[in-house]
Amino acid sequence: MPKIPGLIKGLAVTARTLARTVTKGAVTVQYPHEKEEPVTRARGVIALKEDNCTVCMLCARECPDWCIYIEGHKYLAPPRREGGKPRQKNALDRFDIDYSLCMYCGICVEVCPFEALFWSPEYEYSEPRIADLLHDKERLGEWMETVPDFEPYEAGSEAKPKKVPR
Amino acid sequence: MTALTDSQKLAYVASQAADARVNVELETEGMTLNIGPQHPATHGTLRIIVRLDGELVAGADPVMGYMHRGYEKLTEVRSYPQITTLINRIDWLGSFANEVPFILAAEQLMEIEAPVRARWIRTILHEMSRIANVTLFLGDMGVQLGALTPVFFAFRDREHVLNQIEAVTGGRFHPNFDRIGGLKDDLPKGWIADTKQTMERVRTFCDEVEDLLMGNEIFEARTRGIGIIPPDVGLQFGLSGANIRASGIDWDLRRDNNIGLAYDELDWKVWTHPDGDSFARYWVRLQETREATKIIDQLCDGLPSGPVMAKVPRIIKVPAGEAHVCTENPLGEMAYYLVSQGDLVPFRVKIKSASFNNLSITPWLLKGVYVPDVITILASLYFILGDLDR
Repeated sequence: MPKIPGLIKGLAVTARTLARTVTKGAVTVQYPHEKEEPVTRARGVIALKEDNCTVCMLCARECPDWCIYIEGHKYLAPPRREGGKPRQKNALDRFDIDYSLCMYCGICVEVCPFEALFWSPEYEYSEPRIADLLHDKERLGEWMETVPDFEPYEAGSEAKPKKVPR
Repeated sequence: MTALTDSQKLAYVASQAADARVNVELETEGMTLNIGPQHPATHGTLRIIVRLDGELVAGADPVMGYMHRGYEKLTEVRSYPQITTLINRIDWLGSFANEVPFILAAEQLMEIEAPVRARWIRTILHEMSRIANVTLFLGDMGVQLGALTPVFFAFRDREHVLNQIEAVTGGRFHPNFDRIGGLKDDLPKGWIADTKQTMERVRTFCDEVEDLLMGNEIFEARTRGIGIIPPDVGLQFGLSGANIRASGIDWDLRRDNNIGLAYDELDWKVWTHPDGDSFARYWVRLQETREATKIIDQLCDGLPSGPVMAKVPRIIKVPAGEAHVCTENPLGEMAYYLVSQGDLVPFRVKIKSASFNNLSITPWLLKGVYVPDVITILASLYFILGDLDR
């Protein structure tokens, strides 16, 4: 086979790419106008289900860069049965995640024993001021709507699919 | 002090100028050229001080440490689950491959063995990070030689591999997916079919790049016979990975020292090239990318069913002892020497990354080459700055 010069080969690639771009469209996505759908498991932002949180501080302790700030207080709830003792309960006063420090490792979501933290694939929460990246518990609670359901597993898996509390 | 007359001053200046002219004519003064710390060809912050004799390199000194992030010290104050998220960032292009040897070392000390399915999925992700890493090299080498197309092809097709990694781990670049005793989660539905499609794409990319660059006059002229590393010199400098395989040494830790991964059960081949020049290093990595796609196809076909997590205590305390595990990472041999004293945190973690050794040959290798070849030789050695400085 005779050797094709590199110049002609390169021009052929250019022509092929041009034809493909004209007919099928470009590979690149023009971001603000069109968006790609992130995958379900994408680690975008952490959502907080406040009712499930018991202020156990596990997430704040396990966080590698200590970007979770939790404060809470104890209060006495009325007894469940007539004549019983009042129950001691924990209330969440403050739950802040500083996204300017967060490494998006997901350890807090993983260690949470009460299913209060979830990953949401949302990513559009950049701020002009760095201090605004500190999300308080109301803001984290709003992300809860964007949490997708867990996907079913691939064949041969023995893991049990989890459910997102709504 | 006697005052100088104008004619004396002029005569002095004229004699100095004549001396300078003679010097220029008789000998050239050496010139020191700083390549870096900010240079597009170094993929980060590496500085190479090159002493030039005309167009020839008389000596080269790499200055490392601009990217030093102190991971070895940081691991001493972080618990085992937290360390995996840190060591992701050593070689950021093939992040999952960084986690594997550390987790294997910790498992060795805890005497836990990951289930078979976890081991196979680990191997899939290990090879995927190899593809994500090496495809960028295949494109980037073209850029260093003035060919812009391969790098666009590389980024286009690497994106699909990263999407597959993201779909299973949740992170494109920093998976943080490997756990002591198995994996964080199982594969999502439909992932295996998508992966096979992606592997087909990667193979097409390899064909495209091979068609474009191999046999191209400029590429051949700039890489063939340039930066030759003889096998014995390569071994003396402790080169590993594709760099030593390109010098004709059949050495691959995936085959020779396979711990905890599924390579033994597969049919694959270690590629070597006898030449040892820049072209050989490119060729070996290209073949390895193809081989990795074949490995992943085999793993996807025969993925065993079962759990992905062994029984592991909730609070991970690694018993006192020492473990050394090395694996074949995209860039070469990566090893962790883990010393534990039975605490929540390791006592000492020594990280041996491949780039440091691969770059240590530069003073020897760059001596006597021409300036334009410095960049291509550096590109063909292929190092990641995060992997170099840790």
